[in-house]
Amino acid sequence: MTRQLSGPARFLLVGAALLVLLWALSFALAVLWPSPLARLCPLGRDLLRPDTSVCELAFGGLWISLSVGLLAGAAATITGLGVASVARLFGGWVESALMRSADALFALPDVLVLMVLQFAAQTAGDLHPRLRISAVLLMILSLAMVGWAAPARLFRDRLETLERAEFVGAARALGAGRWHLLSRHLWPFLRDYGLAIFLSRVPAAILAESTISFLGIGKIEPMSLGRYLGTSYASLLYGEGARIVVPAWVLLILIVLGTSLAGRGASAVARH
Amino acid sequence: MNAPLIPIARQIVLIPLVALASYGLMVALPLSLGDESKRQLSPDLVASYRRDLGIGEPLGFLRPWQKLLQGKRLGTSSQGVTGEELLTKLASSMAVGLVAVALALCWAFAYALLRWSVPRARWTAIGELVPALAFGTPVFIPALLLAPHAVEAGHFLPELSAALVISVWPGIFLGTLGADSFKTELARDYVRAARSKGLSQRRVLYRHVLPNVVPTLLDSIPPVATALLAGSFAAERVLGLPYFGQLYVLAVLQKQIAVVVVATTLFATVLVVVRLIVGLARWLVDPRAREPIPSEAAP
Repeated sequence: MTRQLSGPARFLLVGAALLVLLWALSFALAVLWPSPLARLCPLGRDLLRPDTSVCELAFGGLWISLSVGLLAGAAATITGLGVASVARLFGGWVESALMRSADALFALPDVLVLMVLQFAAQTAGDLHPRLRISAVLLMILSLAMVGWAAPARLFRDRLETLERAEFVGAARALGAGRWHLLSRHLWPFLRDYGLAIFLSRVPAAILAESTISFLGIGKIEPMSLGRYLGTSYASLLYGEGARIVVPAWVLLILIVLGTSLAGRGASAVARH
Repeated sequence: MNAPLIPIARQIVLIPLVALASYGLMVALPLSLGDESKRQLSPDLVASYRRDLGIGEPLGFLRPWQKLLQGKRLGTSSQGVTGEELLTKLASSMAVGLVAVALALCWAFAYALLRWSVPRARWTAIGELVPALAFGTPVFIPALLLAPHAVEAGHFLPELSAALVISVWPGIFLGTLGADSFKTELARDYVRAARSKGLSQRRVLYRHVLPNVVPTLLDSIPPVATALLAGSFAAERVLGLPYFGQLYVLAVLQKQIAVVVVATTLFATVLVVVRLIVGLARWLVDPRAREPIPSEAAP
């Protein structure tokens, strides 16, 4: 017997399938079996790296960009959930201070804050080698530090709404404390919501990482999509730029389309 | 505190907050740790960092601003910048941003019209694809595609290209928001009541619907301004425009600590000013903005 999927669940499934397919395909073609891409790429060789095909670099970049985006999105969502939980647990000035700092982060563009964080961490590494961390880890950490504000604000508002529900009032009347309420009664309601928030953070993280890497500030190795285009940027201005830029563009749009579809489905599931 | 003063105070406090946070981050760098041999930066450069940031001086955090006001060059070499140059570059970037706002409004109008004209059944696919296309396109990609034709041409074509590439996402964002707000308001009871009393469609739109849509559109201006200024980093770099965005990127790449601190604060100031203007406009057009704000941490 087959069960008919609801509209939101279908969106979630299609978006998630697209993301998994992109990740698996790029990992397989760039890392596990790179030879077919090298031989059969219809887009030819890269301008700066004549021994590597455009397809190898694009799929290699896609795998890295997607992995960094997923990890940074997860880190930002978990941090946001933690901040919102602490804010609601303690209330009062703690909540006000945490939410004001989230608002302060909102006031500046992600890319600007990322540049400052990368700059500070890289300069610290140059000044003192013991403080140097890997470029990938630095990028994930800085994306999480930039991206926690939106999830924190959304989780905090959701928790506040849930706390007004009758079952929470009943649990309170039975003597439940704040931590018990949060861990036993409220967190189960945040799972689907958290998934929707995570999916909304992934493309934002990928695009911010691409821009920073393109500008030459993030130095991820192996190269992400943005870093790949950034390293070829001077030649792209004079050579056959579109042949190299358009594949990377299409892959970025597919990532955003996948997360947008899945996020839309997850939001609708969370609402129901 | 009065209702309109609270958001104003919250916005204004961001400027010293960003100034102190960016300064504090730079001062926290291990500029005075021992073991010079392991450093990749020369002792002269580290000394110039300390000098530019006024480390060890009373009121040292004012040192970069003092240098700027005295007309001195901020930075470690000829790559630095004077206060006058900084303001000229900022003004040029903002001029490009203003052209981008006009273009974004054109995009928004075109997209909103498309949303109205396409039947709902067919909309799902377009409604997913167009925002994904706009949001999924980092500014540097269309800039790279336009650059070979624009950079050499001159005659403000690079500036116009930069405005065009940074206006796409804000335009689609405004179009989506505007069309959705109009649709939501048009479905409300007060619109049906006004129509049933014999008011013309035009009067209902201008007199009743528009005042309810304007606050939503005003609220969307700060994120649009943020996106436009953020887009200028990549657009100016690719299209070779020597303005504020390019200055910021070069300051980071060349590790001009004091320039980064000052430029970050100026950037935040521009965004705060935009938010204050929007807040004022909102206060004037929307009576709900004048109501007291409930405390966030209230039980």
